[in-house]
Parts: sequence; structure tokens; C-alpha cells
Amino acid sequence: MTMTLGPLDATGRIPSLQQTRVASFLISAHGAEARLLTAVLANPLSSPLFGTPQIELHAQLCREMEIVSLLGRATSWQPDPMLIWLMWQWETSWLPQPVQGVVGKFAQGPAIDAAAFGYALHTAIRPAVLLPEHSPMSDPFAAALRRIEIEGGRIVQAQLRFLKSPELATARDAISAAVDRRHAQLRQLWTELLSSIGVVQES
Amino acid sequence: MPSLQHGRHSINYEITGPDSGPTYVLVNGLTQYSALWAPYRAALAAMQFRVITFDLLGQGRSDKPSLFIEQDDQVAVLRTLIDSVCQGPVFLAGISFGGIIALRYAIEHGERLAGLVPMSTFAELTPQLFLIGNALRNGLILGGVEYLQDLLLPMNVSDAWLAQRLDKLDAVKRPGWLVNDLYALQNLMESFLDFRPITPELGAIRMPTMILNGEFDFLTPRHLHETLRAHIPDSALVIVPRGYHAFTLDKPELTAWLLARFADDVRTGRWQGGGTVWLAPEEAGGTMIRFPDEFDHLRAVPVRKDVPRERNST
Repeated sequence: MTMTLGPLDATGRIPSLQQTRVASFLISAHGAEARLLTAVLANPLSSPLFGTPQIELHAQLCREMEIVSLLGRATSWQPDPMLIWLMWQWETSWLPQPVQGVVGKFAQGPAIDAAAFGYALHTAIRPAVLLPEHSPMSDPFAAALRRIEIEGGRIVQAQLRFLKSPELATARDAISAAVDRRHAQLRQLWTELLSSIGVVQES
Repeated sequence: MPSLQHGRHSINYEITGPDSGPTYVLVNGLTQYSALWAPYRAALAAMQFRVITFDLLGQGRSDKPSLFIEQDDQVAVLRTLIDSVCQGPVFLAGISFGGIIALRYAIEHGERLAGLVPMSTFAELTPQLFLIGNALRNGLILGGVEYLQDLLLPMNVSDAWLAQRLDKLDAVKRPGWLVNDLYALQNLMESFLDFRPITPELGAIRMPTMILNGEFDFLTPRHLHETLRAHIPDSALVIVPRGYHAFTLDKPELTAWLLARFADDVRTGRWQGGGTVWLAPEEAGGTMIRFPDEFDHLRAVPVRKDVPRERNST
């Protein structure tokens, strides 16, 4: 077990199996976030996310799709039978979850869950810390992981503002619980995935 | 590494030095982590101090709450830590953000402290500091932790320190980048959004207090430390020569010596605060020099206090 991906292959790149597993996880999770955002933006009852926030959320939706597309191009893929099981496990985990303790505005539950999932995805998962210290800048997969991590800080700001907004101040405990639940879920699946490719991250 | 439980959060801490010695508790700056105090642990332990360092809530290896961190929580964490692991006299030192936490702890739980050392810190968010803080937060959001490090390093340490590390800055920044998460740093920064000045409460700090301010600290310049000196009754302001905001990184030997000297002065009854202003020596073990009374210590040029500061041109 190591704390980073590798050892690098003869060409200085991260082994294809590791690339395949990591990229599959990220594509699954960011694809799910894109679907959640699409649903929230299409729902006329999700009033707190309309007005100006919808512009940022729409931008995020596009970025999520960009991440999925980027990983599809930048990854050195190899066949991996385990993905049949793993993808099923991941996709069922990303399904919308009820948010307990939010009363009054019933449409806010799905919006909070979608925001909590997006926030947790971009904060709990730091793909760039997996890269060995001297991984080459020319490796497209390594460059993609760096880009996803940098973008993450920017594109969660809409969720952050929504989750911390004064309008939801009375639901602060419920929001914290929803985010913590999504954080824990993502961290656990991410840790299990990394363990399956010989990577252990300090808790 | 030991940890203690604060509510549902785990706080990482480390103890170095003899059990019987007076205790120094060191509080990190906002983007720091406890391992950065390693030179202090070694130096102060060698002088028979017990040294406690820890990661604040949201930092390093302590738990990082997802969304909400209040400065009250940090003060409560510090109280839990001191109550749990400190016996005997406790000296508390904190830098920058950690300095505010230390000041607030001293205001609320001063009876527990033998001495206080606020470093590179402030009691009020001036317009400059507020705007710089906002810009740094935006830098963090737009460019990530590494960009924030890139902004802060050249502002906060000296050319001499940087020159020795210029070819390995990536390695210098990497531990901080690995251990601190963007969202947690953002939460820490946003704990300033409803910051209220603590100046009116500084008078409640009754223990000896040594205020350390880097000579060239333009992030938290001299007048912010002057507020502390003017309102904390038994205080002295010590200017660290050629020091920037993060002089604790830049000058660990000198700063550790200043901390030890202060604690020794307090414990032996030699301490004389009285609102005095001092220049620290360039090197550990040198002579402390009293800032000349007739000159204005808030100016960067030698201006006499009794000379009018503005004159009409003739």
C-alpha cells in the first residue's frame, strides 16, 4: 500500500488499471451530480435555486459534464471486470436521499440533497493528492486530476452559498447532517476504491 | 499522534518535553498546521518547557466540519485541550488567526494562564485587513490552496528565508497543500464574516502579555498591535527585527528564545510590562533594547513624538 498512485510505469505514467478505476469513480460521481443538477434546475418548485443562483448552477452543470468528458479522453483505459460490480454500487449510492428536518418548503429537500452531494463531491474527494510528487506534467491523466481539483473549489461556491444562506438558517442542523452524510458516503466509497488499487490515504 | 474529543470532533495534538515543566501551548495561524511548530517543540523542550501543539478545528489532522466553523468553537477547543492536558502554569502563544483565538481564550478564561503571547495578530478588522482577507479568500476559491500559498509566502516571510528555499518551494508548500483542504480553509476564513472587534474586552486580560510584531509585517501592521498594547494592562510590545507576518517560520530560534525568556521573566518576577515597547535582538540570546521614548514606534521612519507630523509647505 502507498499513499499515492503508482509506481509509475516505464513511460512515467500512472498504471492503466489505476487510471481506469479512479476515472470510473469520478465519472460516475460527477455524472450523478450532473443528473441531480439537471433535475433541480428543471424543477419549478426548487424556488431557492432560481434567480441568480441558477446561472452558477447551470455553469456547474456544464463543468460537471466537462469533467466527465475530460476523463473519458484523458484516461488510459483497460478492461476491468470489477467495474460491473463497482459501478452498480456507486450508482445506487448516488440516488437522491431524503433530507430529514427540513419543514415548510417541501421542494428544498431535493435541492439541499443535490447541493450537499455536489459540495461533498468537490470537497471530500481530492484527486490531485493521489499524484506522486514528481508525476510528469505531460501526463494527460495527471493533468486532468489537477484540473478537476482546482475547478472543484470554484464550482462548489453556488452550493456553498445556498447551503449557508440565511433563508436556510433554521435548517442548519439538517443541512450539516445531509452534507456530513454525503461526505461520509463519498469518503467511504473513495477509500474502498483506492484500497482496491493499493492506495491508502491517511484519515 | 494523540487526539482528544471535542463534541463529535476529533482534535489532533502533540505534547513534547518534561511533564513537570511549565507548559507552552502554541496556536496555529489560519493556513498552518501543528507540524510547523517542530523547531519550537525541540527548542522549548530543551529549555525544560512542556510544549503542546495542535491543529485547530478544520486544520491539518483535526476534524474538518463540512460547512460551519465558528471562532467560538475554536476557543472551546482550546479550553478543552488546556483543561484536559495542562497542569501547572500555562503560557499561551498564538499567531495571526491563532493569536485571536488566544486573545479570546485569555479574555474568557484568563485565570488559567500565567502569560500570553499574541503574535502578528489584531483585535479589529480594519478596512485594509478586511479587504486583504476577502482578496485572499477569493484567491483561495479561484486558484486553490496552492495559489493561496503562493500569495502568502512572499508576503509573510523574508527574502533571506525564501532565497534559501527558492529551488525547492514546491516541497516546502506540499505538506500544507496535502494536509489542509480548500473547503476547510474557506470555512475558517468565513468565520470572520461576523467578526466583532474584541478591543473593548482586552482590558479583561490581566496576565502578563508579550505582544510580538514583525518589523516588516504589512499584513497586520504595527498599529493593530498597538491596539493590544494600549488596552491590555500588563503588556509590552516587542518588535521582531526584520520580521514579516510569519516570523515564527522565518526566525524560530529567536522567537523560541523570546517565548522562553518571557516565561522565565514572569515566573521569576522580573517581568515588567507597563505598556513598554522593545526591540528584540537580531539573534537569540542578544540584548533587548527599549524603544526610545521620544520616537514614535508606529512610524517606519524616525519621527519624534513631539514634532508635528504634517507641515504646510512654505
